[in-house]
Amino acid sequence: MVSALYILAAALGAAFLLGLLREERRGLAYGLTLAALGFMTWVSATWVWAFATTALPPVEIFTAGTPPPFAINLRMGMGEAALTLLVNLVGLASALYLKETLLQLGRRAMAVLLIAIMALAGLILTRDLFNLFVFMELMAISTAGLILLSADSRALGAGFKYLIVSQVVSVLLLIGIIFAYHVTGTLNIDGMAQAPALLATGIGAIAAFLILIALIAELKPFPANGWALDIYESAHPAYGAIFSAASGAAVIFAVDKVLPIGGAAWLPVATGVGIATFLFSNLLALPQTNDRRLLGYSSVGQIGLVLAVVGQRDVLGEAYGFIAFGLLVSNAVAKAGLFWLSGTIEQRGLTAWAVLRQRPLALFAFVTFLCVLVGLPPFPGFYAKWELARLLAGEGRMALLAAILLGTLIEAGYLFRWFGYAIKREPEAAAEGPRMQGAGLATGWNRALPIAAALVAAWGLGFLWGDLSGRGNLLLALPLLFALAFLVLDWLPAWVKNTLAIGGLTGFFLLTWQEYDPLRLIFAAIFLIGGSVILLASYETKGRRIGFYPSAMLMYAGLVMLIRATDAFGFFAAWELLTLGSYFLILRGKHSEPHALSYILFSLGGAFAILAGFALAGQGAVHLPLDGLAKVAEPLAPWVFVLLALGFMTKTASVGVHIWLPGAHAEAETDVSPMVSGILLKAGLYGFLVLLMSMGSQRLHGVELTHVLLWIGALSALVGNLMAVFQEDAKRLLAYSSIGQMGYALFGLALMNHLGWLMAIMFIINHYVYKSMLFLSVGGVAKRTGTRDMYRMGGLVKLMPLSFIAVLIGIIAISGVPPLSGFGGRWITYNALLDSEVRLPIVILFLAGPIAFLYLFRLIHTVFLGQLKDEHRRIKEAPFWIVLPQMIYVAVLLVVAVVPGLVLRHVDNYLDRFFPQGGLEWTGTVISSNYGYWNPISIMVIVGVIFATLFAWLLFVNRRAQPVKQFNIVFSGERPFRPETTHFAWNFFAPYRKALGFLTTPLATRFWEGITDLLHNAGDLVRRLYTGNGQTYAYHLLAFVVAVYLIRLGA
Amino acid sequence: MPFDWMKIPYALLTLFIVFNFGMLLNALIQKIGARVGRRYGVPIWQNYADLIKNYGLRSSITHGVMYYLGPVFRLTGGVGLLLFVPTIYGSEMFSNLSFAGDLILALYFVFFGTLGMALGAGESGHPNAAIGITRGLSQVTAAELPFALAVFSVALQYQTFSITDIVAVQQAGFTSWTLFTNPLAVAAAMLSFLGSMMRPPFDVVLAPQEIPIGPPTEYHSSYLALMQTNRAIFPIAKIVLYMSLFFGGAASWPVFFLKVFAIYMVSVLVGVAFPRFRVEQSIRWFLIWAVPLGVLSIVLV
Amino acid sequence: MVDISLIAMATGFVLILIGLYGALTNGNLLRMIVAFTVADAGVNLVLVSVGYMRGRTAPILDSAVPAAEAVARIIDPVPQALVLTAIVIGLGVTALMLAYAYRLYEAKGTLDIAKFSELKW
Repeated sequence: MVSALYILAAALGAAFLLGLLREERRGLAYGLTLAALGFMTWVSATWVWAFATTALPPVEIFTAGTPPPFAINLRMGMGEAALTLLVNLVGLASALYLKETLLQLGRRAMAVLLIAIMALAGLILTRDLFNLFVFMELMAISTAGLILLSADSRALGAGFKYLIVSQVVSVLLLIGIIFAYHVTGTLNIDGMAQAPALLATGIGAIAAFLILIALIAELKPFPANGWALDIYESAHPAYGAIFSAASGAAVIFAVDKVLPIGGAAWLPVATGVGIATFLFSNLLALPQTNDRRLLGYSSVGQIGLVLAVVGQRDVLGEAYGFIAFGLLVSNAVAKAGLFWLSGTIEQRGLTAWAVLRQRPLALFAFVTFLCVLVGLPPFPGFYAKWELARLLAGEGRMALLAAILLGTLIEAGYLFRWFGYAIKREPEAAAEGPRMQGAGLATGWNRALPIAAALVAAWGLGFLWGDLSGRGNLLLALPLLFALAFLVLDWLPAWVKNTLAIGGLTGFFLLTWQEYDPLRLIFAAIFLIGGSVILLASYETKGRRIGFYPSAMLMYAGLVMLIRATDAFGFFAAWELLTLGSYFLILRGKHSEPHALSYILFSLGGAFAILAGFALAGQGAVHLPLDGLAKVAEPLAPWVFVLLALGFMTKTASVGVHIWLPGAHAEAETDVSPMVSGILLKAGLYGFLVLLMSMGSQRLHGVELTHVLLWIGALSALVGNLMAVFQEDAKRLLAYSSIGQMGYALFGLALMNHLGWLMAIMFIINHYVYKSMLFLSVGGVAKRTGTRDMYRMGGLVKLMPLSFIAVLIGIIAISGVPPLSGFGGRWITYNALLDSEVRLPIVILFLAGPIAFLYLFRLIHTVFLGQLKDEHRRIKEAPFWIVLPQMIYVAVLLVVAVVPGLVLRHVDNYLDRFFPQGGLEWTGTVISSNYGYWNPISIMVIVGVIFATLFAWLLFVNRRAQPVKQFNIVFSGERPFRPETTHFAWNFFAPYRKALGFLTTPLATRFWEGITDLLHNAGDLVRRLYTGNGQTYAYHLLAFVVAVYLIRLGA
Repeated sequence: MPFDWMKIPYALLTLFIVFNFGMLLNALIQKIGARVGRRYGVPIWQNYADLIKNYGLRSSITHGVMYYLGPVFRLTGGVGLLLFVPTIYGSEMFSNLSFAGDLILALYFVFFGTLGMALGAGESGHPNAAIGITRGLSQVTAAELPFALAVFSVALQYQTFSITDIVAVQQAGFTSWTLFTNPLAVAAAMLSFLGSMMRPPFDVVLAPQEIPIGPPTEYHSSYLALMQTNRAIFPIAKIVLYMSLFFGGAASWPVFFLKVFAIYMVSVLVGVAFPRFRVEQSIRWFLIWAVPLGVLSIVLV
Repeated sequence: MVDISLIAMATGFVLILIGLYGALTNGNLLRMIVAFTVADAGVNLVLVSVGYMRGRTAPILDSAVPAAEAVARIIDPVPQALVLTAIVIGLGVTALMLAYAYRLYEAKGTLDIAKFSELKW
């Protein structure tokens, strides 16, 4: 193998050779630069390969032929190899990316680039402290040189600020080095770390402090990092990529190397500085509008996160490398990719990224990088975060874990907001004249290639980390692969993909249905078969429908993996996948940008609560089977319960965390609304089911937690129903109604008795059927009328009779009126209530019940009855493919109404193993409980016979009834002629609003808006710290040093 | 399960008795109301006359299918409600079709007719129909709540949803009536009862005196006749429920007539003495005065 | 008698403090650069003073100091080497800073550091 020294030698040699070349031979110079970088990359790659495939010990390289302390030594181990590979690759790719700039600036710029990469590689390889100093100074000088590559004149100022700071840093570092040498007699890092004298003497301790604080200062810790942000904002994006991906990685590795000098006392310092930087950077990134500065804040934050992890290495054990490298490469790949992408975009605002929509592949790269950065599956950061949470919780470091998750959530907030802009906003007009294809986008193979490489690397590293995790590679999971296959097949017409999707879902169900217990079978049927039925409506969409199928299938893959998960990791991974997929789906709606954002934020917040809950439950155990939750003991158990329940509540949109749902469901596309309402919400209930099955009821400070859930369920039912009453938008009405329905289901589960669970199951099935049906019919109507405002419709019953029938059956089923299936749900509810000791929440539940009639009547009346509008006189029934699933649902509802035992009976029997008492008796057609009885077939027959008899009687006495025209009504002696003034629809329940409107005060919305405003304002306030004056930045640095010193003194 | 076909003629007999009783009772109540207002009032057979006249009317129009079916829904609701509840305690003959379901069925079937009616009236396109329905629905959400709580309280008290069982427990003398064993529940239920009888102060839904409003606005001839038939049956069916749950039920027809009359009179007495509430006022009234009683009855039972 | 190395070290630290003070209080780019060179000189002085040993000679192996006696007769050569490197690097950085100052002046016609704060927040 080639010695690692050649990495440095090649760069230096090439830089010297460049000096010998004539100025005009730029092409040759550029070729030489690329060759050198390519060679360096190849050397690193061979080392990585060697370490990965053989059990090679780290190789020491003695430069002067003698071991330390008499000469400088370098080391090449797995970590060094991987990082130099990263640095060299980024260097190579950036050199490619910089082709035009380098050719224009000539050999000097190329030499500086080579030196910069060499300095970074040197930082990684060297084991000598003074050598480290030299490489750091080289890095500083070359950085200052490379900043000048930028076309942005402001970069000059940024470079000078950097030089000021690096001067101060080098003063600190040199003094530290010389005194440390004085005390220990060596400059070798390992020798110094092993010298007991260093920390024993006062001088030694101060020397160690100066060395470490100087190195940490190079990591851009908050608040001494204003200079770095200026560089990120103004430097050439290719240099931004190097600065973020390569410099950050190299310096953090140096810190990791040198940290043992300071002893164990420095670990908390590193953690503290790191986490503070992570939190504040993300906070400050919130109000940013410049893409590169935003990326800068994010980079600084990510390095802070890695520093915090470095500080935790005492507890991370063997997983330390897996976690630290996972986070590091995630940031490196994503940031390099994003900076390169930003170089293709002409304008600097966040909305300017909307031009990426012209290039689906670039958009895909963009979203991949964002997901990598946030640490979503299947990327390395996801595995790393899981292990980190597991180990931190195992050591009881929950505060740190909470801070990390909070920071990540804020980061996800601004990153996905940005993605929303890119997908939904119009780019700012760059120039006058018509927009042309490719406007605002600068492309070229030398720019596309690095981005593509980063994209491939992101997925490759995801695969690698999955492989290393020892937890089953997500990228090998069949459902996920199936979903990802649609990325490749996205060029096919929509109907082909739709057929494939339906085939995949039903096929998977047929293959696996025998593996589920009855409870899971119900969920599997809803997810897979139910999903297929909804997908029938997707045949309506023509064209290619780019992006729809990967997103939808990602959601379904997540859902399937959720019910198939047996351990906490699989569950959590599936949870995040389905969240991600559904986010993309929701984002497709025309006006859904803010709602999709609030959806993903609540969902991720919930997911992090789940992560923390699982981590707490596992107590550091490598594997946590889901039924292992049952073994969690006091005093942890109730906290685990609270965290998991919070997470699941975000998905069921329980009151308080419900505010994302109405917009997300209402603004989604016609066939997406039923997916995210009828199907997706069930994931939260499934989570609750798993939680309650394994953990049962828990008490926290004497409060029964299931009792709290009861209240939440009841209040959700009330708030959901009440809000639905006052909506003018049909889909929003249905969306609020879902909040109420999920409240009922949660209430049932929280009752913790046999019938309560049966009631929840009944609600789960029913809600899927009728909410999917209603969303489809309302979607069909909205498609035909071009509006979702109910008061602008009316009288559609004659034009859209099938949609009307679907809505009619749907509202009878929801309201629980016999003889349809909703009644069964109510009957079980009452029996379940009687079986429990609960009293007061029942009042809320009873109050919520009849309110459903209000919004349901409003829905059917204002849309289908009343006066037909002039502009709607010629519209037709909804399209066939949208009506077809509705008719299937109607049939299902009728069948379930007559023979509910078909499904319920099995579940009822199965529930006996959890609650042996209080099941139902199934004798013939009669269903009876301990308290009452119910005979669905009799009811249907009796009602049918009475109805038919009376109908026949009316037909007989009223056989000559004449149909009349629309306005043939008695109307105060006048003849009305305008449907708009005759159709009573707007503000339909005005008296009700007067009486109970105060209950709909949007307290939750105000609360969350208050929180986001607070964060934004705090970020906006704190970022004024960065005045832009280089001198102030130097003050910040000194203040930072003094503050850390004082805090250490105090500790 | 073999079906006892004799149940059908028996049920029809119950229906016949209740229908006639309801026709007469309605007229009587109207008359009492008129006399309190110093008017003479209608003759006792007036409702029969109206009914025959309406069935006999020839002019007849329809606005559509739902409009046509509205009264059918309405009457099905009334008849169904009556037949799902055993009328006379201890009598196999007048236990009607209660084998199909218990108290909960009766509670929810109340809405069947209301819903169908509302849809039918809605199709007529008359704004006043819709306004009446929104008022009615708004009021019912608040008015039904104390009743639901009271019913649940009674079910808790007796640990059953079977109406027959509930009546059975109350047969040991009138002190065993729910009225005395669970007075809070009964109080709550009776306040709710005022709201559901379409009499003042809670009759703004129909507002029969001032303007033609609510579902009957556009219905005429045989449609109206069907609804009038229901008007005779439905209140009685509902009172039967109250009677069975709270006042010991009825073991014979005379007791039945007496108790139904007495219960009906409660709403009449209140009705003639108080002016009308607006909808939001009545909602607040129920929530402030009736619901706390219901809550107490649930907590204390 | 006070050790000469202590005096040198004290002087070095004073120079560093003067330099840092100057860099932090002067808004003029050139003055800041000069201040930093003063601080650099101080650092170098400290470096040398740490390696100094009384009564010994320079670490140059020639006829005056045979290799065999070197360990006892010369001062520690490492700080000397460090100082040489540090001086070179300091020179480089100073030159770069001066170049920057020149270009900044070209761009804006001013040397006031506070004027170069377009990038902020």
